[in-house]
Order: sequence, then structure tokens, then C-alpha cells
Amino acid sequence: MRIVRRTRPIRYKALVTALLAVGFALAAGALVFAGQGVNPLEAYAVMVSGALGSLNGLAEVAVKAVPLTLTGLSVAVAATMLLWNIGAEGQFVWGAIGAGWAALYLSPFLPTALVIPACLLCGALAGALWAMIPAALRVRYGVSEILTTLLLNYVAIIFMEHLYFGPWRDPMAFGFPGTPTFPEASWLPRLGKTRLHLGALVAVLAAAGLHLLLARTKWGYRIRVTGRSAQAARYAGMNTSRQTYAVMATAGALAGLAGMGEVCGIHYLIREGINPGYGYDGIIVACLAGLRPALVPVYGVVLGTFLIGADRLQSAMQLPSSIGLVLEGALLLGLLAAEAVTRFRIASGKGDDNV
Amino acid sequence: MSENAPLLSCRGVTKRFGEVVANRDITFEVRSGQVQALLGENGAGKSTLMSVIAGRFRPDAGEIHVRGELVQFSRPADAMRMGIGMVYQRFMLVERLTVAENIRLSAHSCGIGSREADRRMAELSERYGLGVDPSRTVGSLSMGERQRAEILKLLVQNANILIFDEPTAVLSQPEAEGLFKIFDRLRQNGCGVVFITHKLEEVMAAADHISILRRGRIIASVAPGEIESKRELARLMVGREFVLAVDKPELNPGETVLELKHFAGSGASGRTGFEGVNLSVRRGEILAVIGVAGNGQSALAAAVTGNTDAGLAESGSVTFGDETVSAPDWKGHHGIAHVPEDRHNTGSVHDMTLAENYALTRLDAAGDGPWFDLSRIAKKTQKAIENYSIRATGAEDMAGSLSGGNLQKLILARELARKPELFVAEQPTQGLDIASTEEIWAALIRQRKHSGILLFSGDLKEVLTLADRIAVMFRGRILEVLDALDADAVARIGLLMAGGETAEGDSQCA
Repeated sequence: MRIVRRTRPIRYKALVTALLAVGFALAAGALVFAGQGVNPLEAYAVMVSGALGSLNGLAEVAVKAVPLTLTGLSVAVAATMLLWNIGAEGQFVWGAIGAGWAALYLSPFLPTALVIPACLLCGALAGALWAMIPAALRVRYGVSEILTTLLLNYVAIIFMEHLYFGPWRDPMAFGFPGTPTFPEASWLPRLGKTRLHLGALVAVLAAAGLHLLLARTKWGYRIRVTGRSAQAARYAGMNTSRQTYAVMATAGALAGLAGMGEVCGIHYLIREGINPGYGYDGIIVACLAGLRPALVPVYGVVLGTFLIGADRLQSAMQLPSSIGLVLEGALLLGLLAAEAVTRFRIASGKGDDNV
Repeated sequence: MSENAPLLSCRGVTKRFGEVVANRDITFEVRSGQVQALLGENGAGKSTLMSVIAGRFRPDAGEIHVRGELVQFSRPADAMRMGIGMVYQRFMLVERLTVAENIRLSAHSCGIGSREADRRMAELSERYGLGVDPSRTVGSLSMGERQRAEILKLLVQNANILIFDEPTAVLSQPEAEGLFKIFDRLRQNGCGVVFITHKLEEVMAAADHISILRRGRIIASVAPGEIESKRELARLMVGREFVLAVDKPELNPGETVLELKHFAGSGASGRTGFEGVNLSVRRGEILAVIGVAGNGQSALAAAVTGNTDAGLAESGSVTFGDETVSAPDWKGHHGIAHVPEDRHNTGSVHDMTLAENYALTRLDAAGDGPWFDLSRIAKKTQKAIENYSIRATGAEDMAGSLSGGNLQKLILARELARKPELFVAEQPTQGLDIASTEEIWAALIRQRKHSGILLFSGDLKEVLTLADRIAVMFRGRILEVLDALDADAVARIGLLMAGGETAEGDSQCA
């Protein structure tokens, strides 16, 4: 038995990858549950009914799916050009800061109807500008965007902490560091009594728009070519530097919108815990979707179901709160394993070493 | 083992890939001291057969015997142990190491120590007339020298059956003749040689025995003496009658479209640049730049087209149309169409569809304003597929699924459709079969009416078929520009490609 590279790609690669990844995560989760003395089937039943069994559960899944979709799109658009945007987290944080600035400091000068558009715009813009730093470093000095986007996340988070511990801190909230509550004009409208907010529409429109942009415009075509063969792009006279800026700006704006949605749609202020790692989750979502924007919302909902289900599990069965993280980690490992399965196959035949 | 058993014999070898039968019931043998040519068009199954023999693929049926002994290989190392060595088109050498280091490296893997390897290297290099300096890094060698290093490497590992996959594809005429001399030495020393090719001249010149492969079967097995003409060989190989020359009507050249003056520049990552190049191309003529690979042609082509990283213009001037630009400011022009040397990674994107590839350099025709209209470009692609008889099921096929010849025709069709002033073609038929080569040649000759054509080629036959004027390039310089109709001048091309009279002293091997 030995492992050899597949000579031709398998069919339905994206779907097979996703199914294998989810399957692997469920199997790994089952082992963890069994280790905790919980019947895995029962646990999964609780997860499913908790997440999908009630209107409120469904709405909460959708609430999670909004930032996951937007950060997923952010990672996907960059990766289409073979840029690895690990910085959706930092861009998300800057989106929150931009929206927060518009809500707290710009809204007094604006008519009510313009406050939400201003928050949207400032959130997207702040995320986009933050993403210009790794873009410039990459274009000018050839620095790997994987490193710069990742490291800048910490800078963004510390800067946000500085704001809500310092200049933006609400003097009336004793003990709890955070900004004052945003004025109501900046709150995104919600659906009925649920927490599902306008950001959901933004996410769906963003997915549709990005799909159209990549498939139906010359801009998108250039990006797809550059991602697949830089040599061919150069031969066809494409300006890859300009494209790098444009793509990173788009990615930053999408992640920024996710941050905006969280602070203007859910928390109504900036404080610790507004960024539970949606930027990194976006990488998983983008990979599950095979970088296809049209599929990103679907897998945003899948991962959202996992997270909400794990939440419910924790309260219903007294399992440790880290169970959600365990499942998410298993999903990522499953993704890597699935990638290997779709690229390699096991061949029969003797031989003690692999060529 | 018996004394008079053939070195290698295949009996009824069959290899399938899914539905496709790449090799069907192949039986052939190579004896000690025999040079066996395996002739066939692209896609005839030559490479598959070689991979089966070299242990990369396992046959689905049939047997392979080495010196009379039945063998079953599960990987190339098994075949190497039995003395079967492959010389691939892409040499298996580490470019940053020296020749000696490369050879020691592979010698270690079959249990030969460094000192022993060095001793054998010197001895075998002498015996087979290989003449490569072991202390040079592989990256600095010409393609011919690399090939000799590769042969030496296999001989050091005790190979006595050598299989060459299209060995002359990367060589100039003199280098190819040098290779055939090495074949002679191998023959005298009792080795067996198999070489894959689709070039008829080579088969007639170098082979003791010819097996012709068509659609996975050996359809004829003959000695060169039994063949009456190249035409007969071509008919056997292709399965129909072929004219081996293309009609080239007389044409009076028009105005100058490109003029290079004192043009100089550098090549990418230490490769040969070019200097003092003075050339002009007129509408209605084909100017061929011929030279052994690695003499600055790639850099010159890149500097003229301005769209790859293989070279950069540094000084001199470029006149394109009525516009004269100094070299550092020259960035190419949209009136220049370009068929690049690397058709797989530069000229096309393998995991995009044919339609998407057809839009690569013609994005202006792919939709209005910012929109990319795939159906519009797909229609154009479909037309090109029909006009150039490209073998594909439709515009939705992936470019990577096309054979080299069909892909090249698609690229050619795309570039011709740009209606260029200047058409630059680099090695347009390298590695292609006869049918595709002829079609591409005919298309280039037709295009003369509309543009000036600058052809870069290492293939003397191609240059003689197409060119009106021939510029011979050696070590970054144009040695001479010859009139293609001047027979005396043409006769000197081979010598000029090897450096001509001036360099005779320091180049010991042709």
C-alpha cells in the first residue's frame, strides 16, 4: 500500500471535500462526547434540535451566519487571486471601529436616515484601508501577505482595546470597559423579535455581488487568471499590482462590514468579546465553499449551525463550553484531511518507500 | 539469463486509462548494440509505453523481460536496478548543483560511493565521448550539455538500456548530431537505446530499427533500409498521405513594422542576455531568429514583446510603426501578438475553459465595458475550433485537457484574431506532431500578408520552410542575417549556430 497523487481531479471536488470535512468533524466530535460519557447520537440530536428546531434557534443560526458569510467572502475573494487573507479578523475589528466612530461621533451631524448608511460606509472603508497595509507591503517589497495580515490582527485588536479602555470609554459604565451605547439611529433594523438584523441582507447581497463580479466582469476574469497563473496574467498584460490593491480592499471592506454588522446589529457598542474569531472562521467557510462566493452563505449557515448547536449542547447537557471549539477544530482538520483525500489516493502494490 | 536474449523485450503489453487504451498488445525488443526508434504522432502512446518500461506505470496485461528474465516494476527505482535508465524531456537534475554533485547524489541512492562515482564519471565520460565539465553547475549548461550530464548520470548508475523521450526536442541541429554520435558509442559498447521521436529525419539517420506506433498499437516494425522514402514513413505514422513541405507564395515585403537599433538587454535570473542587435521586420516577410537554446533568444523575444519576465530591454531603441522609443521605456505594444514558448503556463491557463483562454489577450472583444460575456467569447472560440480543426468537444473543455498541438492551435488562433502589426512566434511547433506543425506553418505563411512575422526557432527545418530572412544568434549576438534563398549562405547556418569561424577554438563539441 502506498499513497500516490491522483492523476486526474475527482468529480464534484468541492462537495466531496465539504462532506468529508463535516463527516470527519462529526466523527471526531462523537469520540469527544463518548469520552465525556455522553451518548454522541443524543448529543447531536440536542445540537440539531437546538439549532434548527425552533424559530429562535434558526434566527440565531442566521445571526451567526452573517459575519461568517462576510468574512468567508473576504477570504474567498483574496484567495481567488492566490492571496491568503488571514487578516479578516483585524479588518473585522477595524470595521467595528469605523462603524463605531460613525455611530458615536459622526451621527450628531447627520440626518437620522443617513446614520446607518454612514456606519456601513465607514465600517467597510476602515476594513479596506487596514487591508491596504499588507497589500502595499506585498506589492512594494514582496512581503508575504500571510504573515502581515495575521500579525496586523493583533495590532488591530490592541488598538480597539486602547479605544474602549481609553478615549472612547463610557465614563458612566463603572468597571466595565467599553464604549457608550450607540444612538438608536445607528441600530440596524431587526426581523420581528429575533436578533436577525439588516446585516443578513448585506451578506446575501455581498455574496451575489461578488459572484457576479468574479464570473461576469473583466475585473473578475483578470483576478481569476492571476490566481491561476501569474505568468499568464503577465503575458496578457494584466497589472497585478493594481489588482492586489483592489482585491485586498474588497476583502477588507467585506470583513469590515462583518464587524459593522456585529456592533450596529447585535451589541450596539464596542467592548471586549465582539470579535470571537469570526475572521479565522471565515477561512474555514471559504475553504468549505471551495472559494465560490455563491456557496459561501451556505457554509456560513453550516458553521453557524455547528456553533449554535454546540452552545445549546453546553447548556442542555452540562458539557464544557470548549466543546464548540473542539468541533470547529475538528472541522478544520477534516478539511485538511479531505483536501488530502481529493488530491491523493491509496494505491495497492508493494514497495517500502514512497516515490 | 541467457547470452543471446534481447536486453529488453515487451510481450503483449497493454495499458488502459479508464476507457482509453493507451497501449494495446505491444510487442517489441531491443538487443545489445541496437538503437531502436519508436516513431509516432503525439498521442500515439509512445510516452505511456516508455513509462511502463521505466516502472512508472504498471501494465494491465503483458510481460516485460530484461535479459531474458521476467520483471515486474512497481517504481522507477526497480527499473533502474535492472539497468533501465530514462532520459526525460525535462532533465532530472538539480540546477543549482554541479554535474558531479548531481551524479554523486543519484549514485548514492544505488549504493555507489562518491569516490567510486567520481572514478566512473571520468572513465565513462571518456569512453562515451560525453565531454561535460563535472565542476560546472547544471544551471549554467546548455540543453545539450545537460542531456549529456543526464546520460552520464545514468551510465554511472550502471544503466545499459537507455530510453530517450524526444531527446532532440530541446537541441539544435549540431547538438542533435552530437547526440547521434553518442548513440554510436553506446551501440559500440553494447548498450541498448530506445528513442521516442516524431521526426522522420532522425529516425532515418540514427536508428537500426524502427517501430511505428499509431493509436496505441505497433503498426509496423522495419529497418531503415526497408523504407523507401520519408514520405512512406510519414504515411505509416499518420495513417494518410502527407506533403512534407508547405507552399510558400512569393510576396513583396511592405513597410517596416519593427526596427531594433543597438538593442541590448538582460535575461532573467542569470540567463544569457543580448547585445548589439540590429534587426528590422517588414510586413509580408518572416524573419527567423535561429540559435541553439540558451543563446539569448528568449531574452530578446521577451524584450520585444514586453510581456514576460524572461528578459528586459536596457539600451538601444525600438521603432514600432512610426513611433521610436528608447529601450528602457519600451513596454510592448498591443499591436504585437505573441505565441510564447511556454504554451502551458504562459500562453494558456490549464484549469480554465477554452473560451476563457480565448479571452486571455483579447479581453476587449470579450464584452462591452466592464462586462465579461462568456457566451460571446464562447461563440468565437467555437469558430476557432472549427476553423483550425482543433480536437476538442467544445469551448467548455478545460485547456489542460487538450494535447499540445491542439492547445497551440488555439493560442495561434487567438493571437491571429488580434489582427496584429507584428506577430512574434517562439518555438511555435516545438514538440508537436506533423499534422499540427503543418497547420501552424501554413497559418504563419498566410499571416504574412497582414503582418511582419518574427519567428524564434531552434528547428532548422522550420526556419528553412518559413523564413524569408534568417538571423543566426549566438551568445547574445546576431552573427549574420542571411537571405533564405541564398543556398551558400544557408549551408553555413549549422556552423554559425555553433559559434561559427570565430568560436571554433573554444567549443570542442558541436
